[in-house]
Amino acid sequence: MAQKLQRQLSAIKKVMVGTLNKNYVPFPVDKSLCSRWTNDLSHGGETIIYTSFMYQLASLFKSYEKYLPTFSNMGGSSRMASLGKLFIKPKKEDLERSYAILRNISAMLKKAGINHGYLYDDEPYSGGLLLELGMINEFKEYGGKVLQKFKDNGVRRVITVDPHTTNAMERMKKLLNSDIEVVNYLTLIKGLSGNGQFVIHDPCLYTRYLDLGETMRDVLTNAGIKVKEDIMVTSKEYGTCCGGPLGPVDLELSSKIAEDRARKLLSVSDKVLVACPLCYQNLSPYIKNIKDIAEVVS
Amino acid sequence: MSDWQIAIERALENNIPKVEEILNQYPYLKDYGVQLRQTKEEVVNNLEKYVKQTMESVKRTGGKVYLAKDAEEAREILKDIVGSNKKIVMAKTNVGHEINVTETLEAKNNQVFETDLGAYLIQLSHGESSHIVFPSLHLTRENIGELLHDKLNMPVNRNSTIEELVAQVRQFLRQRYMEADIGITGANSISADSGSVALVENEGNIRIDTVFPPVHIVITGIDKIVPTLDDALKEVMVQSAYAGLYPPTYINVSSGPSSTADIELKRVSPATGPKEFHVILLDNGRMEASKDPDMKEALLCIKCGRCYFSCPVYRVKGSSWGQPPYGGPTGAMWTAIVNKDYETANYCTHSGGCREVCPVQINIPKVLEHIKWLFIDEGQNNLSVTP
Repeated sequence: MAQKLQRQLSAIKKVMVGTLNKNYVPFPVDKSLCSRWTNDLSHGGETIIYTSFMYQLASLFKSYEKYLPTFSNMGGSSRMASLGKLFIKPKKEDLERSYAILRNISAMLKKAGINHGYLYDDEPYSGGLLLELGMINEFKEYGGKVLQKFKDNGVRRVITVDPHTTNAMERMKKLLNSDIEVVNYLTLIKGLSGNGQFVIHDPCLYTRYLDLGETMRDVLTNAGIKVKEDIMVTSKEYGTCCGGPLGPVDLELSSKIAEDRARKLLSVSDKVLVACPLCYQNLSPYIKNIKDIAEVVS
Repeated sequence: MSDWQIAIERALENNIPKVEEILNQYPYLKDYGVQLRQTKEEVVNNLEKYVKQTMESVKRTGGKVYLAKDAEEAREILKDIVGSNKKIVMAKTNVGHEINVTETLEAKNNQVFETDLGAYLIQLSHGESSHIVFPSLHLTRENIGELLHDKLNMPVNRNSTIEELVAQVRQFLRQRYMEADIGITGANSISADSGSVALVENEGNIRIDTVFPPVHIVITGIDKIVPTLDDALKEVMVQSAYAGLYPPTYINVSSGPSSTADIELKRVSPATGPKEFHVILLDNGRMEASKDPDMKEALLCIKCGRCYFSCPVYRVKGSSWGQPPYGGPTGAMWTAIVNKDYETANYCTHSGGCREVCPVQINIPKVLEHIKWLFIDEGQNNLSVTP
């Protein structure tokens, strides 16, 4: 059993490290699809909004996970990887949704007086997946390239918009002794409005690693949104993951965890809020009324 | 819902609010947890010294003490002490499970009876433990009613109440003690300064196992050593509170064989209780882990099992995650230490609740991240040999 999983992870590593080194993306994909959400931000600058493609490619994470056993059997060959480019693309509606979210985040930042640029097709993926799969050496090696890329573009401060990138950047800073400033958009936005009543599915990394759970709640309640809590479901101690990070290891188990989590959330409210594009992907098959925070405040 | 889903849901509903209530009602317990972390860190950072001190202390109380470097050595020591054709009552011991006590002793023609209700149900059903404190957690009351009826012809069924089930087993288990030659227990903690073994329980079986049979054998890991008897008592209090069972019905302390000083105040041994007291300290990867800066954090675990309930993987997979008795988040660390199984850690989603609820604040996801890295690294070597 151990060898089967080792082969699978080894194949992922091979494909991912290859595409990261070549194009700074986790999977072979047309990068321009990811940057089309804006054309009115300046290229680069000291402060940038950093998407790390997470919203744009969230649906692909799951699609790729479906093909992992095939990758694994083929030893993660580059031929398979290039085939992926042909048949795995984000759906149009998924892309449009991600564009709207990113445009809203950018607008909320501007409203808070935060001027920011964007790296467009020069943006690198953070390498978060390497980190989360225990590929620490590869993460450090690739992280050095990411930091260099920012440096080359004159970036000193990155505004992250999702938990995985925020966490990866924080870890990268520590592992590589970088002085780049990493700040999550939730800590910057203010003066917002919204309405409705929701239960929050906390992203594990925001709430239990980055101490942003309360920040997220403050953003929502200050905007006029009511948040329903239940210690068994939404507390820091007993709220649980959507199962997303297990996709590359065991897709079936990942889905079972998502289904279980959805059932718990729905016992509190039929309207569910997420703050991570991967949580959205994992939970949305089981929850009809599910939205990202950046879809309910503006 | 599957039986497992029903069982885990009932356990969560019963346990989580109870632990919260206990921690609010007895606020000193959280402070004890913080203190325990410090004292246990001291031991882990100087493990050889504390093992030596513990062994000297046990000898001073009149007990016999052994250090087993691995499971095989522990089994040989145990076989030598026990011999054959004995009747043994055993209180649930995870380290005992780790070295397969029951199978080892049965192979030498001994009879081994589990006396902890949960462990006994596992023995009866030939199943596997699904939680480090509550081994029969996967069995619903309906399952247990059927099991007791089918296996022991007890007058219960799937509609019996929990009280009715417990009452039946109580009658049955009480008879086992009368004929026992040996009692085997684990240890929740063992103090280096006094060589005392502390055990916490609610059923009363440990109290009987440790004093009624003429011989008491303790099997425990060297990670259970704490500097003083004071620390040992704090550890059992914290353990029981975080398992949701506080105040515990019984706390037992055994320091050597039974003794009396009632004649001229000269302490002599044995008295009414056991005449022999043996402590087998098991290494089995623990010493090596104490020297690994990333892994040694795992040795602080006091095995309260609270982390299981905050883990989405355990909630879905139950005992099929890890290698019993080491399951759940802490088990993913422990199976790496004692079984060199680095695969289990890869199923961690880094949900992080385990760290939030841990009384000694073990950064479990960080340890598991390190084990994932060991797995990838090991794979690289394996796969380069077998492409």
